[in-house]
Amino acid sequence: MSVRHELLEAILTPGVFDKPYPDLEAKQLEAARELFAVRKDQIGLLRRRAEDAGIAEISSTKDLVPLLFAHTAYKSYPQSFVDQGRWDRMLQWMQTLSVDRTDNVDVEGVRDVDDWIHRLREAGHMVLATSGSSGKCSFLNHTRGDSAMKRRHASVAVGWPFVRGNKDRACFFLGPSEGPNSAIEASQNNAANFGRPGDIHFLTDEPLLMSEISRAAALRTRMAEGTVTPDEIEAFEAEARAKAARMNTALNAMTELILARRHEPIYLTGMWAQHMMIIERARKLGIPDGDFNPQAVVSAGGGVKGVALPPDYKEQVARFYGNVIRPTAYGMTEMAQMMPRCEHMRYHRAPGLIWLLLDASGERLLSAEDGPNGVVEGRFGFLDLLYEGRWGGLITGDKVTIDFASECPCGRPGPTILDTITRFAQSGDDHIGCAGTIDSYIRSSITQ
Amino acid sequence: MNIQANPPPLPVPHVVKGEAIYGVEQNYGRFATPALDLNAMVWPRNEPAPARDIPVAEIIDVLVAVGERLTKDPDGSLAEALERSVKTNPLPRDVLERSYASLGRIFNRRLMEFQVEQELGGADVIDGWREVTTTSGRLARIRAFPTRLVHIIAGNAPGVAAQSVIRGALTKCVNLFKLPSNDLFSATAILRALSAVAKDHPVARSFSAAYWRGGDASVESKLFRPQFFDKIVAWGGESTIRGALKYVGPGFELVAFDPKTSISMIGREAFASEEALDNVASRAAFDATLMNQQACTSSRFQFIEGSVADVDRYCARLQAKLGEQRPTASATPIPLPSNVRDELDGLRAFEDEYRVFGGYEGRGLVVRSDAPVDFYPDNKIVNVVCVADLRDAVRHVSVATQTVGVFPAKRRVELRDALCSAGAQRVVALGLAQPEGGLPHDGFYPLHRFVRWVTDEGDRD
Repeated sequence: MSVRHELLEAILTPGVFDKPYPDLEAKQLEAARELFAVRKDQIGLLRRRAEDAGIAEISSTKDLVPLLFAHTAYKSYPQSFVDQGRWDRMLQWMQTLSVDRTDNVDVEGVRDVDDWIHRLREAGHMVLATSGSSGKCSFLNHTRGDSAMKRRHASVAVGWPFVRGNKDRACFFLGPSEGPNSAIEASQNNAANFGRPGDIHFLTDEPLLMSEISRAAALRTRMAEGTVTPDEIEAFEAEARAKAARMNTALNAMTELILARRHEPIYLTGMWAQHMMIIERARKLGIPDGDFNPQAVVSAGGGVKGVALPPDYKEQVARFYGNVIRPTAYGMTEMAQMMPRCEHMRYHRAPGLIWLLLDASGERLLSAEDGPNGVVEGRFGFLDLLYEGRWGGLITGDKVTIDFASECPCGRPGPTILDTITRFAQSGDDHIGCAGTIDSYIRSSITQ
Repeated sequence: MNIQANPPPLPVPHVVKGEAIYGVEQNYGRFATPALDLNAMVWPRNEPAPARDIPVAEIIDVLVAVGERLTKDPDGSLAEALERSVKTNPLPRDVLERSYASLGRIFNRRLMEFQVEQELGGADVIDGWREVTTTSGRLARIRAFPTRLVHIIAGNAPGVAAQSVIRGALTKCVNLFKLPSNDLFSATAILRALSAVAKDHPVARSFSAAYWRGGDASVESKLFRPQFFDKIVAWGGESTIRGALKYVGPGFELVAFDPKTSISMIGREAFASEEALDNVASRAAFDATLMNQQACTSSRFQFIEGSVADVDRYCARLQAKLGEQRPTASATPIPLPSNVRDELDGLRAFEDEYRVFGGYEGRGLVVRSDAPVDFYPDNKIVNVVCVADLRDAVRHVSVATQTVGVFPAKRRVELRDALCSAGAQRVVALGLAQPEGGLPHDGFYPLHRFVRWVTDEGDRD
């Protein structure tokens, strides 16, 4: 077995997060060396980056730094290819970021981006998509095997160190059951790991459609060009309102179900605003705070941008569910092996995940010597060794603090990431210039 | 242990009604300012603007003296501001040096007289009451009356601060400048020169400048009120404009120098000869690299008619010229942001449709394509877009398009109405993107918008 596979298989070792892994740093370096040696000939963009940086092999973790992709690499295709339905071109683009050949995908008669993703998935490319605020979607390829490995990782990491999935809970996911998005994939994994078959509930079986996002983007482009009529904007917004109303109805129905079963050890995940709606209903029914089964698993998250929430929404949600199990993890679409948080509010990593803490500019690798007592703040980067379908190296926009100490205050092995994760803003200050993009302000806003 | 020592924060002075204030009570990390004294920075409505009755001619004399002082810099305070700007402004040193060296020339007597003449229709209407007779025979007098302005100025070119001082002074308004973090020193250096040449002069007392973090509600919700200011003059940045909009209402008006993008349009006449092509590429490179392509007037997209082979010849020449040093551009390489590099790497998969000229070292880069790229070309990057006819490019023009440089002149005349209908505000000959004073800016006359147009109607006495 290669060193890389040895590290990935370690997730199945009982107590993988609890005990130090012998000689981990050297083994991670060796695994990165192995992986790069294979991938550089398979992934076009990685080869280009390696050539530009003059890196023929990985001899120290520093060599990985110029090989980390930013999230923008996964949306570097021209939007006009999507708008004009040039799916063969999109496959050609996807190839530069993929290990497996994408020319096995039949794009004949593809109607929209969801169709295209569906065809890719049929051909074994388990594409995940994300939608940025720009309206342009990222597409990340991985293999069916990668999907299975992610589920396996989740079976150990999700709930750690408080609870482990045992396929015996009623599960409530306040989102769609289907769709090429990492949050839905995570729900599906958690459903498989925690859910009692037949007792797994999603808010809707209406799949998440990426074409809705690209339609909104196309509408914005036409708004900028000045070719949209008021009726077209109204039709688009009416559709969005109708969908919001359907989701609202579904949430009301699910709320009744959740509240009825609150004394059972249910598994519940939703967004902050959704939890606030559940609380509102519970108050009307006279259900007091803290009336949930203490073995219930509840998590909340999601963006709160553009949602009207009281300033103390987190506290309200915490009080309402009371003393339930609240596992938390740090991860992102680009990462397969997300990092669970311990009782001491620190994030721990699996052996198959290499952390690369960088300076703010993302150019220099930081180490324990770069901060007082080995506690160092920087930009988070990583190489996820799991992926067979693409390169797992990424530089993020997250500002994290890593404690390089070999032991976490919880007594388990370090290093750990502190619970202080924020975003690196484009610039810390208020730089003002008179030049700008034709951004949303001219297109005016449309509801999505 | 290797702890990186942070340099001490740079002191940023404030100016309160003409008087420079020094202090470092408020620490922002890279720099520090005096404590903000909001009471000192507002002008109550019941107090007349100090410069209201000073003749424009006298104000121009003062401003000319400011320009002379900035050019001579006898006490080295401009040089000191330059050194500090070099540390905080993203522009390279040589561009800043040349901008600072030319600051004084902006305070040009003929130019300021031209501004008053063009934008207000003469000094008489701001110095006093201009009488007219209406169609019914009523006697009326019109005056351009000073207002109270809070300016959110842009920091991408020191000239913005100079132009804002000139406009604020010529209109006799009272002015508070909110300093941008990318140019913390130019405005105060100019105001210190103003106080030096005209100590306690009403014009000097009409200006304050301070830094607070843009959007800081604890400051802005108190200041941005009709009790204290009549208009907010907001430059750039969607977030600035949106931030200002929160406070705009009756009695507190927005004058927006919106964020803008500028473009070029090049007709097939450019390929008439090698000489012509070279000349066109030089002009286009000049327009693209204005303030190192950080200005709203800097060209970013260039639409061109021609065969792919011809357009590629143009792109190669343009790319070579983007890296040259000019008065408004530096030859110093600008590192390519990683997101732009990702976009370019993505496009390289389609070399037939997207050809990239130049490397990633930041000396200028051109992308040739059939449709505009999705990213924002910045830091000496130009997207050259092939079109069959320049008229096809008009659909890419909107109210966010400021300057359109066109070659040759005949095509400019043909296209200008269509461009302006689509929203463009300024159509110029290719190579003339650098603006001059006294002409409309972003579709309006700034001096005209700064003042309040008031009337006095009825018989003289």
